[in-house]
Amino acid sequence: MAEVSKGIAEKWGLVVDQDRCTGCNACVVACSMENNVPFTGEDNVAFGRGTYWIYNKRMWEGNYPEVAPAFQPVMCQQCGSAPCEPVCPTFAAVHSEEEQINLQIYNRCIGTRYCANNCPYHARQFNFEDPNIPEPMNSYLNPDVTVRRRGVMEKCTFCVQRIVAGRQTASAEDRSLRDGEVMPACVAACPSGALVFGDLSDPNSRVSQMAQNERQYKLMDELGTRPKVTYLKGGGRNGG
Amino acid sequence: MSDKITRRNFLKIAGAGAAISAVLTGCGPMSRYIVRRPYTEMPEYNQTGLNTYYASTCRECAAGCGIIVRTKEGRAITIEGNPQHPLNRGRLCARGITAQQGLYNPDRVFGPIFQARGDTGRQARTTWDEAIPVVSEALKSPAGQIAFLLGTAPDHLFDLVTEWTRSIGAPAPLRYSALASFEGRSTLQEAANRTFGKPALPYFDLANAEVVFSFGANFLETWLSPVSYSAAYGDMRQARPTRRGYLVAFEARQSLTAGNADEWIPIKPGSEGLVALALARLVAEARGEAAPAAARSIDPAAAAEAAGIEPAKLTDLARLFAASEHSLAIPGGGAIGQHEGLAIAQAILQLNVQVNNLGLPGGVYLTNTEQPTTSLAEVYNLVQKMNNSQVKVLFIHGANPVFELPKVLGFEEALAKVPLVISFATFPDETAMLSDYVLPDHSPLESFGYQRMLAAADRPVYSSIQPVVAPLYDTRATADVLLTAAAAAGSPLPYTDEVDFVQQMIVPLISAGGFYTAPEIQTFWSRWLQYGGWWVTEQALDTDISAASERPAAFSGPATLEEDKQFYLVVFPTQLGDGAGANRPWLQEMPDPMTTLTWNTWVEINPETADKLGIHDDDVVRVTTPYGALEASVYRYPAIRPDTIAIPFGQGHTALGRWAEGRGANPAALLPAAVNEAGDLAYNDVVASIALTGKRRPLARVESREGVYGEH
Repeated sequence: MAEVSKGIAEKWGLVVDQDRCTGCNACVVACSMENNVPFTGEDNVAFGRGTYWIYNKRMWEGNYPEVAPAFQPVMCQQCGSAPCEPVCPTFAAVHSEEEQINLQIYNRCIGTRYCANNCPYHARQFNFEDPNIPEPMNSYLNPDVTVRRRGVMEKCTFCVQRIVAGRQTASAEDRSLRDGEVMPACVAACPSGALVFGDLSDPNSRVSQMAQNERQYKLMDELGTRPKVTYLKGGGRNGG
Repeated sequence: MSDKITRRNFLKIAGAGAAISAVLTGCGPMSRYIVRRPYTEMPEYNQTGLNTYYASTCRECAAGCGIIVRTKEGRAITIEGNPQHPLNRGRLCARGITAQQGLYNPDRVFGPIFQARGDTGRQARTTWDEAIPVVSEALKSPAGQIAFLLGTAPDHLFDLVTEWTRSIGAPAPLRYSALASFEGRSTLQEAANRTFGKPALPYFDLANAEVVFSFGANFLETWLSPVSYSAAYGDMRQARPTRRGYLVAFEARQSLTAGNADEWIPIKPGSEGLVALALARLVAEARGEAAPAAARSIDPAAAAEAAGIEPAKLTDLARLFAASEHSLAIPGGGAIGQHEGLAIAQAILQLNVQVNNLGLPGGVYLTNTEQPTTSLAEVYNLVQKMNNSQVKVLFIHGANPVFELPKVLGFEEALAKVPLVISFATFPDETAMLSDYVLPDHSPLESFGYQRMLAAADRPVYSSIQPVVAPLYDTRATADVLLTAAAAAGSPLPYTDEVDFVQQMIVPLISAGGFYTAPEIQTFWSRWLQYGGWWVTEQALDTDISAASERPAAFSGPATLEEDKQFYLVVFPTQLGDGAGANRPWLQEMPDPMTTLTWNTWVEINPETADKLGIHDDDVVRVTTPYGALEASVYRYPAIRPDTIAIPFGQGHTALGRWAEGRGANPAALLPAAVNEAGDLAYNDVVASIALTGKRRPLARVESREGVYGEH
């Protein structure tokens, strides 16, 4: 089992195997339940204000009868050079040194929405309303994650609370994190095993190995955002 | 003071404690009698700030996936799959993940109610002390006049009720769920019986198959055991380094499964039998064998034409199927939920016989499990008896027949003729509203029990259910209510309570060769709870499977339609399952995978047909079948036959709480009461007509991130 030695900066990454992905949306729901993402109701979804940290892009390809959907789960790509960061006037969109991911500091955010405007992936979600979760349904809210209020931008964090918890457990047991020990909610749920998460700084981790696959591509790589999410093309006859 | 614990060491010790607590506990709210206490007196295993994990079983559908629930300060926070569980191996679907939204739903039934059949003037809260004598009196009714209608989960309650009805000679309990109808479980089992001579559910080894033909099997959404089939699908695609499995789906409306297929063959509903026979003949030709008796008289070209596809396509596919070493044909609910469904299922299973995949990797096995539902035909008999006033008492648990059964069957009217209806519903659903009493069971995350009839398990599995939180309200386990009432009625069972019953049921497992054992039941019990059940380590599928005698089949083929006036109607299940998921706000907000629609019912129609009829997106249409009608907005769906329309099942509730009520339309109104030879609902060969209503109601779709309400 590959291990990350202590002291080296982590570089968390995600691989999405589109040949395994069925588009079932279990990731969407798992993410929302883990991260206290509020449900917004029919009208808000129709206004384009539904909040999904990860959403499944469904694109029709071909014409009837040779028509088929192509599914692409899109979440924050945790860009190495993130377009959302430099435009934030309050430094709410920041880069974490330790995990090498892109985080949103909710209590700095004043809701200018510049970041969402500058994100090419539609990954950032704005809270147009306070969450409406009546008692006692708020009981399941995850105490490790803030509940965001109206006027605040939010987005996928690679479940940073799980990364931190995993690191603490490993450190309490005086060992390094094991590959596959930390799984964001979407990865843990994925019924077909399409999502793989791990440390890209470790060349032997499963995620690093899979990111080398010949089917790999990155979303809008040409923009120079250096995403940490790697997609593996589906439908081919190439081995995984 | 040199031995003083330094702050650093103290933190290390505390951290180690945190790590230990992440080990699954075998006790906690499992202590049999749950006492509710203020959190200033924290129960054992609940330390402020630390997680406590419990293994249990998901009860959101009949599949029986193992779950691990993370609790904190006595609250259920996160539900994930149990990595050890042989069925789902740590994975879980959207329905299982949102189970807390049922537990913490503000619209639950808070305690026993004299419901007075929805007469709000007479409705009153009652107490268990008053309610149990009512149940007890009811159980004293003449044995033949007591009826139980149960859902597909949990199995332990079914076992308990079965034992009780047997002891007094009452009719056996019926089990029903709309999902079971859509899956065609009874048909599948009966077809296996006729094809292989054994009445068992077949197990399809998707993971090791190379060429898979699915006939209307939506195994990535709801069919039988979607999580384990999704995992197998992923492995079929990418687990083997050199071979990628090839999936072909035959169905009129592209489901999510067909959307993921390499080829989608849009055949007319009702032509599946003809296509299977034609394939049988072509496969035999390609393999240089004599065609099976049933397929000798079929003309493949004529069959292809009747199905509305190119004959050459069928020949190509037959060659592909014949050439592969690991071919597999799966008869799904869409294909077998028809008048001729049983013969269709047999014809499809016969394709497997032809390529000799029986009991081999990538082929068909038989499971050792029972089929958990009674056929719809038996539910019809019950309705008949209710109508003839032969049922004095009806107990309902885990099912919502008023919503789920086809309206034309008249369950609601029959219910009015039953003098005493007692519902054990946790939610005020449509059926509970029409009951005399609602005596709420604990919600699944507050309950004990087990699931043992797992349709896709490859080995004997008993999956345990245990409370992960203390009951929130004045609810009581239905098993306990029945045991107490039966004792008072003079027909006791030899169990003190639900836990005692479950323990006595699992005693034989101690020596049954599972992956753990124990010298006595209490130790076994704590491991049973800790691991989330009991199973054997080795795969134990029935490989002794061979084809029994084959009989000739003839199919009448699809119905003829009046062009652009009549359409084949496809009703399909979604993440809302049998409709019980409609009160989970995140299941409502989760976009339907194919259309990205949320929170409503829609009618799918091919854009080409819609153009001809002048129908635009979001136009409200009236869909009429000989059995009823409904109104819903149109979604122009590119992946459906031009002569077919489709409607999702699960919305259109008139009760069930704030998120479900008054939303969308229930296609149960459009379905016939007809059943096929095996007693499953013949829902997939209905012809419908549509008409514009002149109204327009936009559907909330996620595919347009800018929204659909226009400028705002």
